[in-house]
Amino acid sequence: MAIARVAEPTGSLQDVRDQGLDREDLLGIYRNMLVTRGVEERGHILYRQGKIPGSFYTGRGNEASAVGVATAMGPDDVGTPLHRDMGVHITRGVEPWRIFAQYMGRADGPTQGKDGNVHMADARLGLLAMVSHLPAMLPVAVGCALAFRIREERRVAVGWSGEGAMARGDAHEGMNFAGVRKLPVVFICDNNQWAYSTPTHLEYAVEHLADRAQAYGFEGVVVDGTDVLAVYREARRAIEKARDGGGPTLIECQTLRMEGHAVHDDAFYVPKELFERWAERDPIERYRSWLREQLDMTDVEEDDITGYVKKLLNDALQRAEESPQPDPSTLLDGVYATPEDLDTPHHK
Amino acid sequence: MATGTAVDVVMPQMGVSVSEGTIIRWAKQVGETVEADETLLEISTDKVDTEVPSPASGTVSEILVQEGETVEVGTVLARIGGAPAAPVPYDEPAAPAPEAEAPAAPAVAPPPEPARPQPEAAAPSGNGRSFVSPVVARIAAEHGIDPTTVPGTGGGGRVTKKDIQAFLAAGAPAAPAPSQAPAPEPEPEVAPALAAAPAPAQARPEPQAPALGETLEPMSAMRRGIAEHMRRSLDTAAHVTSAIEVDMSKVVAIREKLKKEYQSAYGVNPTYLSFIARAATETLRDYPWVNGEIRGDRIVTKNFVNLGFAVELADGKGLIVPVVKNAETLNLLGMAKAIADIAKRAREKQLTPDDVVGGSFTITNPGGYGTFHGTPVISQPQSGILGTYAIVKRPWVITDENGADAIAIRSMMNLTLTYDHRLVDGALAGRFLRDLRERLQGWGESDY
Amino acid sequence: MPEKTYLQAISDGLRQEMRRDKRVFVMGEDVGVYGGAFKVTLGFQEEFGSWRVLDMPLSETAIVAGATGAAIMGLRPVAEMQFADFVSCAWDHLVTIASKQRWRAGTPVPIVLRLPSGGGFSGGPFHSQNPESSFAHIPGLKCVCPATPEDAKGLIIAAIEDPNPVLFFEHKHLYRRIKGEVPDERYVTPIGKARLVQEGDDLTVVTWGAMVYTAEEAAKQLPDLSVEIVDLRTVMPWDKEAVLESVRKTSKVLVLHEDTRTGGFGGEIAATVAEEAFEDLDAPVKRIAAPDTPVPFAPPLEKAFIPQVDDVVRGIKELSEY
Repeated sequence: MAIARVAEPTGSLQDVRDQGLDREDLLGIYRNMLVTRGVEERGHILYRQGKIPGSFYTGRGNEASAVGVATAMGPDDVGTPLHRDMGVHITRGVEPWRIFAQYMGRADGPTQGKDGNVHMADARLGLLAMVSHLPAMLPVAVGCALAFRIREERRVAVGWSGEGAMARGDAHEGMNFAGVRKLPVVFICDNNQWAYSTPTHLEYAVEHLADRAQAYGFEGVVVDGTDVLAVYREARRAIEKARDGGGPTLIECQTLRMEGHAVHDDAFYVPKELFERWAERDPIERYRSWLREQLDMTDVEEDDITGYVKKLLNDALQRAEESPQPDPSTLLDGVYATPEDLDTPHHK
Repeated sequence: MATGTAVDVVMPQMGVSVSEGTIIRWAKQVGETVEADETLLEISTDKVDTEVPSPASGTVSEILVQEGETVEVGTVLARIGGAPAAPVPYDEPAAPAPEAEAPAAPAVAPPPEPARPQPEAAAPSGNGRSFVSPVVARIAAEHGIDPTTVPGTGGGGRVTKKDIQAFLAAGAPAAPAPSQAPAPEPEPEVAPALAAAPAPAQARPEPQAPALGETLEPMSAMRRGIAEHMRRSLDTAAHVTSAIEVDMSKVVAIREKLKKEYQSAYGVNPTYLSFIARAATETLRDYPWVNGEIRGDRIVTKNFVNLGFAVELADGKGLIVPVVKNAETLNLLGMAKAIADIAKRAREKQLTPDDVVGGSFTITNPGGYGTFHGTPVISQPQSGILGTYAIVKRPWVITDENGADAIAIRSMMNLTLTYDHRLVDGALAGRFLRDLRERLQGWGESDY
Repeated sequence: MPEKTYLQAISDGLRQEMRRDKRVFVMGEDVGVYGGAFKVTLGFQEEFGSWRVLDMPLSETAIVAGATGAAIMGLRPVAEMQFADFVSCAWDHLVTIASKQRWRAGTPVPIVLRLPSGGGFSGGPFHSQNPESSFAHIPGLKCVCPATPEDAKGLIIAAIEDPNPVLFFEHKHLYRRIKGEVPDERYVTPIGKARLVQEGDDLTVVTWGAMVYTAEEAAKQLPDLSVEIVDLRTVMPWDKEAVLESVRKTSKVLVLHEDTRTGGFGGEIAATVAEEAFEDLDAPVKRIAAPDTPVPFAPPLEKAFIPQVDDVVRGIKELSEY
């Protein structure tokens, strides 16, 4: 018994143009998806070369969902992306070399070695660093939206969760509060069908997680997470609705997690046919085809993009390798904030 | 990424809880080339099997871990580039180091150093409680007070901080405190063992108030150290003393000649002590046991002479024995200078802890005030101590070259050797003194 | 100078700050229309409106996480748990996010969390706890425990000013029982500084919160003893220097707190004194605290649980006679 609305797939070029995306925007989306995948593939190799300590997570297969949502965010909007959402960091402007430095725990990473893998974010770009407890940042995103509402600012917060994390009270409490106060927040649920080794039927009992939105008093939408423009369309709609005071939306992006939970997991529990089926819907391939067919993306344009991405990542890797290890004497720095730390645009 | 120096290939950590990995297959062998990121080997861990991409381009120069072996995360598995290595030999076990004989510095440091009194050293000053609290111990040490001499009003009669503060404020130890061990209702929770119910016969008498006409003063740390050392030395060594008379006339004459020259050219006085020290050092080399030491059931002899000189501290506060190390390398001038230096530093309280350890023999001068004999105490763990006495002009019988006897006025000095008879027998001691006398009496003008 | 109750002092301080700084707002259960379970925010919603005095759903997570997000975005929330005991529901957000965000991600989280704590009125196990030691243990959090009305106002203002998450433990049993002089104007009581309640030479009592009054009463009953009482006022960061200075003077120290004994913050104080003032001690460091049980409900049981004046009198006597 479906309750949430199922989104239409991407339509024609004209539909897309109507949403305000021009050629440059469309090619930019492709580029961002390539950079996202490139960063993670590169990181995967670094990890297996022993250059990245700890563990390593990727969002392979989630590039469209992440880039699509981030592209729909406004410059002053904020978000709490998770570990499958590297595309959000890339789209918002985090430089790849800093991401590699973060992976390798170097001093130039956004957390200066104090936290690892994708537990990072640049607050100046409107992103808040995730934690391991999921979805603990979801009600924090709601708190950001609360601030916007109190100050009557036309800004929106976007909070991410996976389908497994939706089983926790944080999701319920955050969404309930957001619905009660009609706060300007959009909830994105990355449903990649596997929470580590746990399949969806052991995580939730409804047909779609987006169905739960109704229980909180707002709209839920299900969208094909491999269709970047469809994601963009739905995200844009929800974000603008929130900006205009229409309250929250829950968008469930359906994908398949194409790799293990982390690099040390080979996902033996995922049926091979599932991988094969979803490989045919690889978001980057899919979008590339659309660009070739609908936008007439040329060989030159495509080569420019791939060449750019390759150079960007090679330079980034080099620069990150040169970043020094963090100095143990910095360990105690910043346990407590000083008044000077409040000198940020947010606190003015 | 071509490499000039070798790049290590390490076992990666595939997951946070993984600590080791096994090599399944090497995709490249030594001597083969590999590109960066190309698969170099396959590994297996508890979590997953995976391929490992090469970290660099180059030639595989070494493979250190073989297929089938399991190693810890971070272990170097192979190297790429750099000079092709010879097969890495297993390390030979290092040749055993020669037996470390360290006869140089005996562990024991005889001379007294200012030491903190042990807090638990106090004899019971009340009815069984002998505990001295940290703050009382500290205040006692700072003022050189023995806490057991302080009347205590604390639980079980212990000395409290207020007690010792009152004691200090009152200046001299006052009459016995009015209520020695007040019995407050709550009994101190002392374990029965501590209290030792039947009145124990303690070694030390209760040092309470002085009797009429008596004055009590505390012993300084140095005095306590001297007392302990003297007692221990007498209890350890079998002290015997032999004496000999030495005609120092030649030394006196030579010294006169040298005094001016030494003073103007070297700024140092050629004291009698320096002559004696020089002669003693030479003689000791022929009598290693007199320069030796008993350690356990072994005899330790040395190929050096570290000569200690007993120095009296100003105001009769005590004595200290600085050591001139390797005296055997010094000639008369060197000896004079060395002695002058330590004497000065001892007077000016600039001796370092190093200056007062490591002696192998000691010279002391009990005769400084005119005495002609003495039996000094050996400085542990040495085996002998030479005592020098006043040089006195005496009528002496001398025999001329024709065998005729005549009486002459000679400068005579007694020397005593106090020795540890466990090691040094009387005959040996006698010969030592004889040889020493020969050297002194036969000092040649050109002997330096 | 006017006299105010402990509760009024908190209320006044909070109201003054809300008038002064638009960024300050209140969020908690029943804080708006009802004026707060204990009436600390009575009249606030009428003055500041329902978007600055938020009646939150029954969700400690939404309250603490919501405060965290709003603070990161530049507001200065003063959130409230209806009883300190409920902070355990929001433990995750305090410990996982609020305490660590500045250190690892560079973003400060300037929130205040008011926690009505303490027992003595048959509140039972879930309405009477003093959980300060759990949070003093988490790097990045600050914990204040005012005892007097004057300090309550000064410290709530200091807490709002502080760029770190500050847990404000207000003792419920002091709300209306304690009155004191409280200046009308704005002032800040520094976080991390202790207050000398009374000077003495014979021994030192280190304490905070409601136990300050218990210590004062106990000292009164021992007129022959010169008892020094140090009110820490802040448990994290605590005024180590003030305590050590007092210990050096008296050489005997008793740590008193209402929280349970094992793992209570008194252990940290005792260990520090032993480490850093060993040679100044004339007696072992003594602790008086509640026994290691949940807080009981029936009056005779609760009296046996919470350290009473007699307990402290006995403890001081034993210490002085050591």
